[in-house]
Amino acid sequence: MMSATRKLTSVRRDWRERDVRVVLAALIVAVATVATIALFASQLQSTLVTSASAFLAGDRQLESENGEPIPAQWREEARSRGLETAQMVEFSTMVLAGDEFQLVSVKAVNKQYPLRGEIEFQKEPDASRQMVSRGPEQGEVWLNPRLLKLLNVSVGDSIEVGEKNLSVTGLLIRTPDGGFNMSALSPRIMMHAADVAATQVVQEGSRVEYVNLFAGEEPALESFYRWLQPRLGPSHEWESIRDGQALSDSLERAERFLLLGGSLAVLLAAVAVAVASRQYALNQRDTVALLKTLGLGSRSIGRLYLGRLSLWGLAGMVGGLLVSLPLFWLLTQLMAQALDQPVEPRLDVMALTPALLTALVSLFAFAYPPIRRLRDVPAMRVLRSQPGEAGEKAWLDVVIAAVAVFGLVWLYAREISLVLSLLGGMIALIAVLVLLGWCLVSSLKHMSGGGSAWRLALVGLYRHRRASLSQIAVFAMTLMLATTLILVRSSLLADWQAQLPEDTPNHFLINIAPDAVPEVEGFLKARDLPLDTLYPMVRGRLTQINGEPVREVVSKESDVGALNRELNLTWMSDLPEDNRIVAGEWFDPGQTEGVSVESELAEKLGVDVGDSLGFTIGSDTISEPVTSIRTVQWSSLKPNFYMAFPPGGALDGMPATWITSFYLESDEKSDLNEFARQFPTISVLEIDHIIERIQDIVRQVTQAIEAILALILAAAVVVMAAVVSATLQDRQREGALLRTLGGRQSLLVRSTMLEFALLGLFAGILGVVAAEVAVWALQYRMFEGEFRWHWQIVVPIPLISAVVLAFLGRWQLRPVLSVSPMLLLRRLE
Amino acid sequence: MNQASPESQFSPQSIVMLRASNLSHRVDLGNDTLTILQGVNLEIKRSESVAIVGRSGSGKTTLLGLLAGLDVPTEGVVELDGARISELSEDDRARMRAQRVGFIFQSFQLLPALTALENVMLPLELGDHKAPGAKARELLERVGLGDRLRHTPRQLSGGEQQRVAIARAFAADPIVLFADEPTGNLDNQTGETISDLLMALNREQGTTLVMVTHDEPLAARCQRQFNIDAGRVSEADQAAVEELTR
Repeated sequence: MMSATRKLTSVRRDWRERDVRVVLAALIVAVATVATIALFASQLQSTLVTSASAFLAGDRQLESENGEPIPAQWREEARSRGLETAQMVEFSTMVLAGDEFQLVSVKAVNKQYPLRGEIEFQKEPDASRQMVSRGPEQGEVWLNPRLLKLLNVSVGDSIEVGEKNLSVTGLLIRTPDGGFNMSALSPRIMMHAADVAATQVVQEGSRVEYVNLFAGEEPALESFYRWLQPRLGPSHEWESIRDGQALSDSLERAERFLLLGGSLAVLLAAVAVAVASRQYALNQRDTVALLKTLGLGSRSIGRLYLGRLSLWGLAGMVGGLLVSLPLFWLLTQLMAQALDQPVEPRLDVMALTPALLTALVSLFAFAYPPIRRLRDVPAMRVLRSQPGEAGEKAWLDVVIAAVAVFGLVWLYAREISLVLSLLGGMIALIAVLVLLGWCLVSSLKHMSGGGSAWRLALVGLYRHRRASLSQIAVFAMTLMLATTLILVRSSLLADWQAQLPEDTPNHFLINIAPDAVPEVEGFLKARDLPLDTLYPMVRGRLTQINGEPVREVVSKESDVGALNRELNLTWMSDLPEDNRIVAGEWFDPGQTEGVSVESELAEKLGVDVGDSLGFTIGSDTISEPVTSIRTVQWSSLKPNFYMAFPPGGALDGMPATWITSFYLESDEKSDLNEFARQFPTISVLEIDHIIERIQDIVRQVTQAIEAILALILAAAVVVMAAVVSATLQDRQREGALLRTLGGRQSLLVRSTMLEFALLGLFAGILGVVAAEVAVWALQYRMFEGEFRWHWQIVVPIPLISAVVLAFLGRWQLRPVLSVSPMLLLRRLE
Repeated sequence: MNQASPESQFSPQSIVMLRASNLSHRVDLGNDTLTILQGVNLEIKRSESVAIVGRSGSGKTTLLGLLAGLDVPTEGVVELDGARISELSEDDRARMRAQRVGFIFQSFQLLPALTALENVMLPLELGDHKAPGAKARELLERVGLGDRLRHTPRQLSGGEQQRVAIARAFAADPIVLFADEPTGNLDNQTGETISDLLMALNREQGTTLVMVTHDEPLAARCQRQFNIDAGRVSEADQAAVEELTR
C-alpha cells in the first residue's frame, strides 16, 4: 500500500488537482514551444545556410587577387582537416570563332566544382534546362547563350580561347556562385581548369583571380580559418555567405525574428507558470497548515514541495519534448514543401538545451517563490485564516520573475536592445495599468448592483478589482507579446518585399562612355524599358586620411575590404531615395567641395565629418573634407557607392564611365543581344538570377516565420486559458450563489460575458499600446525601420480580445448552468 | 497510553499538563493594535477535560491556538507537559505537536485527496509509526467507519468526516487533545453522537481534553469550564453551570 505522505507527493495525485494541471500544461507548452522553435530554427539555419552556401558554390571561398595561385599546401591543410576543396580561375579574355570575336569572362573550374549547389545547363538552345553537378570536361567549353549569336556559333562548333581550341558542348545558364560582381563585365564561358595553361592567356601579371572553395563541418571550417588567417596576404579575401550583403541581411533578419519569437514564447510560458503556481500555492495553504499542525516542520514542508516541483519539472520536460518532436517533424515537412526539395530533419540535441533551461528557470523563478513561501504559512491557519497573509511579498516574486525573464530573453537573443525594448513595453504597461486601476476604482465605486447585465458586469469588475487588474495585466502582457510579434513580422515582411520588389532592376549597364549615354537612353526608351538613374563612375583608391597614409591610420585588424581594391567613386546632386544622412549635411545646390561617405566604412576607417580623405585616381591625387555620412541599402541591389562627390566637385574632369540598371523580363532577354551588337563596349551584368534566388529565400523564410508565429499565438491562447481558469472556482461559486439567490440564467450569462469582454477590451488596449512602445524601440534598434502607428492592429486587437474573453467567460460558466446550484456549491466546498 | 512518552521530563508538578501564565496576545493591524487576549492565567491537570466558552470574537480560538503551540503569544508563557512551548522554535513546536498533541476542528480539515484510511495514517507516518495502516484501520473501526476506509472525504457525510477526524486525532496517542467547536458544523443528533464518541475515547485514552465550544451540553460534560470575555478568562463556577444546564 502506498503511504499517505508518498501519495500526497505523487505526480499522479497532483495531476488530479486543476492548478497542477495548469502548471504542467504551461510547462509542457513552454518546453514544447521553445524546443520546437529551437529545433526548427536550427534546422532552418542549416537548410538556409546550405541553400545559401550555393551562392559561393561552397561554404567558404578564398580569393587571391594578386595574380598568384593559392599555395597547394593550404588546400592540403584544408583536406587534412576533413574539408572538401575545389578550385577555379577567373579572367577576362577575347574569344574567337571564325571572324567573330568577343570579350568574355572565363570561369575555369576543376572537377570538384561546385561543392555546394548545381550548375544550370542546357544542351541546345531549345533543349530543356537541367541541373548538373560538375562543369565541362577537358577540351570542352560551355557558353552563355548570348554568345551563340555574338560569335555566330552553335553547339558542336569550336571556339578559340587564346591558343587553345575548345569544343562548345553546351550552354551555361547559371552557376551557383553567379555572384554580383562588378568586375564580371562580359558574357561568361565555363571551361576546365586543366585547359587554362594551354590557352597561354594567363601570364605573369595578367588580371586573374584564383579562387579556392571549401566545404565541410562548421568547426572544421573555423579551425582551418584560424590556421589560415595569419598566412593571408592583403590580396587574399576570405568570404563566407555571411559576407554576401543582400543575402546575409535577409538571413540575419530571419534569425533575429526567430530569436525574438523564441524569447516571447519564453515570456508567455513564464506568465502561465507564474499565474498557475501562485494559484496553486494559495490553494495549498490549508493543507500546509494542517500538515504543520500534525507536526511537520517548515523545513520538511519546504523539502516536500521542492520534491514535487522537481517532479513537475521532469514531467514538463518529458511532456514538452514529446509534444515538440512531432511538431518539429511537421514543420520540417512544411519547409520541404515550401522549398520544393527534400529536407532531412536534423535533430540538433544542443538546440534542446534552452528548452530544458526554460523549464528549470520557469519552475524555479516563477513557480518556486510562491511555493517556497508555503513554508511560512502559520499553523494557526487551521483555526482561521490569518491577517495579511494573502498578497504578501508578491512584489518579490515579480522582481525575481522579471530578472529571470529578462535574463532568459537576453540569453536567447543576446541582444540587450531586445531586452530593453521589452522592458520598456512592460513598464509602459504597468504605468497604464496603475492608472487604469485607479480609474476603475474611482469610477465604479458608486455603482450599485442589481438589474441589468451591464450593471452586474461593472459591479463584478469592481468587486473583483484585485483579480480583474491582475488578469488584465496578464492578458495585456500576453497580447503585448503576441502583438509585438505580429507587428515585427509584418514590418519585416513588408521591408523585405519593399527591398526587392517584383520590378527590381535586374540588369546593369557598365562602362557606358560619356558620349554613348544619350544613345543608350534612346535604346532603352524605344523598348519601353524603365531606366534607373545614370551614375558616373570613376575608379580610384583611398590613400590618405587627414594627410596620413591610410595603411598607417587604419589598423590591420579592422579588416577593411574597401582598402584592398579600387573604389567606384561617383558624383550626384540628389541623395538616392534609400540612402539616409546620419551625420553632416548633404551637398547644397552649387556646392563643389566635400565627399559623402558610407556609414559602415566611415566607422571602420574611424572617419568623421570634417576629416579629409585623399584619393589616387590614375595619376592624379585629390583631397576632400568629409561633409556627410550616409547609410546605404546594399541589399537593394541598385548601384550603390561608398564615396559620393558633388557635381562639378573634385571628380570633375576625371575619366568617368557611366553605370545604370534596369528591369528586364525574362522573355525580353533577346533585347540584350541587340544591345550587345549596338554597344559592343558596354558591359551588361545580368543579376536576374540572383534576385530570383533571394526572392525565393525570402519566401521560404516567410513561411517559416508564419509557422512559428502560429505556434506562439497558440501558446498565448493557452496562457489566457490558464489565467481564466485560475479564478474558475471563485467564479463558479459566485455563479452558483447568484443562481441560488434567483438570478436568471440569461442575466448571469450576459453579465459574465460583458464583464469578461470589458476585461478583454481593457487588456487589448493596454497590450496594443505596450506593443507599440516595444515595437517602436525594436524597430529603431534592431530592424532599423521607422516608427508609425499600426492602425490595422490597434483597432482589431482589443476587439478580438474582448470577443475571445467573453467566450472564455461563457465557457467558464458551463458547469454553473448545467448542474443544479446546490450540487455545484457542494462540489466546490 | 496513559502516561507521557518516556523521554518527557517528569517533575513532581507535572500533574499540571498545561499552564498559561500572564498570557497576552495582540495583532498588529498596521496603524492600530488589536488586543485579543489580556493577562490570561490558567492551569489544566493531566486527564482533565476542560471547555472554553464565550461569545464569537471573544478570543477562544486564539487561546486554543496558543495553548496548542500553533501560535506564540505576544506576552506570557505557555507550558505543555513541562516544556515552555511559547519559547520553542516553530519546528520544535511542530515536533512537540507530532508527539503529544491531537486536534479536532470544526471544519474537519481532512485532506480531500486522501481516503479516510490515509487521512488517519498521515500523523502516524509523520511520527514514524511502525505499522500506520493497521493502527489507522483499528481506530477507524473503533469510530464505526470500518467499512468506509477507502472513501474520500467528499464521499462522506459531515458526521462521518468528523469521526475520521477523531480517529486521526487519537492516532498518534496524544497526551493532550485540542478540539475547536467539534460539533459546530453538525446537526444536533449527529453532534450528540460525535460528543459521545469524543468523550468516550477521551476517557479510554486518559487524554487531557481542551475544547472550545458553543455547544452548552457538550461543555457541561467537561470537568471544568473557562469563560472568556473580551480577552479575559475566568473559571465558571461548576455548580452554577450545572444548575444552568440542568
